Amino acid sequence: MDSLLVPILLFVACATVLAAGLLTVGSLLGPKKTGRVKEMPYESGMDPIHDARRRFDVRFHLVAIAFLVFDVELLFLYPWAVANKNAAGLKSLTNMGVSQLMIFCEVMVFIALLTAGFVYAWRKGVFQWR
Amino acid sequence: MIEPLIKIAILIGGLMTGAAYFVLLERRMAAWVQDRVGPNRVGFPLSQFVSGLKDLRLFGLGQPAADGVKFILKEEYTPAHVDKRLFVLAPISILVAALVTFAVIPFGDVLPGGVFGDEPIEMVVSPGAGVGMLVVFALSSIAVYGVILGGWASNNKYSFLGGLRSSAQLIAYELPLGLGILGVILATGSLDIGEIIGEQARTGWWFALTQPLGFFVFCVASFAEAARLPFDLPECEQELIGGYHTEYSGIKLLLFLVAEFLHMIAASFLIVMLFLGGWHFWFLTGSGSEATWFQAIMRLVVLNAKIFLVILFFMLVRWSWPRFRFDQLMAFAWKVMMPLGLINFVVVAILDQLKIVSGNDSSGMNLVCALAAWGICIGAWVAISIAGPLVADNRPRRELNSFEIDSQM
Repeated sequence: MDSLLVPILLFVACATVLAAGLLTVGSLLGPKKTGRVKEMPYESGMDPIHDARRRFDVRFHLVAIAFLVFDVELLFLYPWAVANKNAAGLKSLTNMGVSQLMIFCEVMVFIALLTAGFVYAWRKGVFQWR
Repeated sequence: MIEPLIKIAILIGGLMTGAAYFVLLERRMAAWVQDRVGPNRVGFPLSQFVSGLKDLRLFGLGQPAADGVKFILKEEYTPAHVDKRLFVLAPISILVAALVTFAVIPFGDVLPGGVFGDEPIEMVVSPGAGVGMLVVFALSSIAVYGVILGGWASNNKYSFLGGLRSSAQLIAYELPLGLGILGVILATGSLDIGEIIGEQARTGWWFALTQPLGFFVFCVASFAEAARLPFDLPECEQELIGGYHTEYSGIKLLLFLVAEFLHMIAASFLIVMLFLGGWHFWFLTGSGSEATWFQAIMRLVVLNAKIFLVILFFMLVRWSWPRFRFDQLMAFAWKVMMPLGLINFVVVAILDQLKIVSGNDSSGMNLVCALAAWGICIGAWVAISIAGPLVADNRPRRELNSFEIDSQM
């Protein structure tokens, strides 16, 4: 295993133990009482009418889809942002006959396309919360 | 194996204590803003244990300890109507994700060798993890799961709405957050937080100075990601009681609240490291990767002072601005932050390319680039403040007729 990963996994283990330990201590020390009214969902004193998990507004779904589209497009920019000044990466590219300036122009075209998609979605009212 | 464990123990201990005392600080701050006294009484009741001793009051510094004890002694209650497994999993997952973020965030610079063994000690749990920013990004996305799980498992309409709102808000503001980070990564050419700080120290130009627009976008987005006012819609008390943690009590509630504070602390760490130069301060900390003892200690002090100031800023903002309405929140994310983030990224890329093409990396060139970036930042600000009122219809939906609702862009 990658030795860089070990500390992070250790950290995950410690944090989980901490959270679970706190929960255990709390359940050991606290009082335990229950009752019919206490079991009910808290809805400001009204009797709940039905289960809370029902159909919900499609707007939330639209936001999620718009997010997915743009997030994936942004993810494409990360490798370029890291490699733009990286001497080794640039050298192998120039050996293939591609210059750094050309890649820059391609990225700008990519961002222009992304912006075009963004403007289209805006005109279509995707970002309008209605 | 031992060294990371010691660091983890220091970090977790420091963060949990820090979160507890920041709650006290925030309450005192709220009192100060609102012209009240605030919690100043709880000290240590020594007379309860040994008769004849006087109680210590200590300006309310016992409050966090008292709060902690109270949380632990409360009933650990799981209502009957919830999904039991998810109900317990949600607070654990959100706390773990919030804590583990700090595994790749350095809490100081390198300590020179000599005292604790001969090797210099890097003050980060996982040194050399070259993809630090990606890990932070991934873990901050996992926090969304905790919120959604909590809201869904509670089987309560308030929680459910809070969870939905929260998920929509967190994912909408993740795009500007990513765009803000992208500019910094482009200027540095690395995802390693240590290298990002090193680059700012080497040039002496903090990224807040060279990319003001990116700094603004990142700050606002991280306020939203930490769900702090004016972006605390996931749990706006007046509408949703407690939002996604309405049904939670005792330790589980404590875990949610601590995780929320940890998000804020992580956000201020990131703001300081990506944009405010990390441990670097001119003429005080040196700028190389090697540091003398004096410089190493100054770096620690400077870093923590900056983080403290940013946290104070977070708290001041909380008591200064009213909350957004939900449609305003979404419109702000998509129609203001996204374009600003794109503008920032393109400007940074072009200025960077200019430097590469001209082969000119002198301080004069840096000054010109920074001035250009500031000009564009102010220009964008002015353009939005002029165009915003012309384009946006800020009336609540109930005051619009159906035609206006459809024609709103």
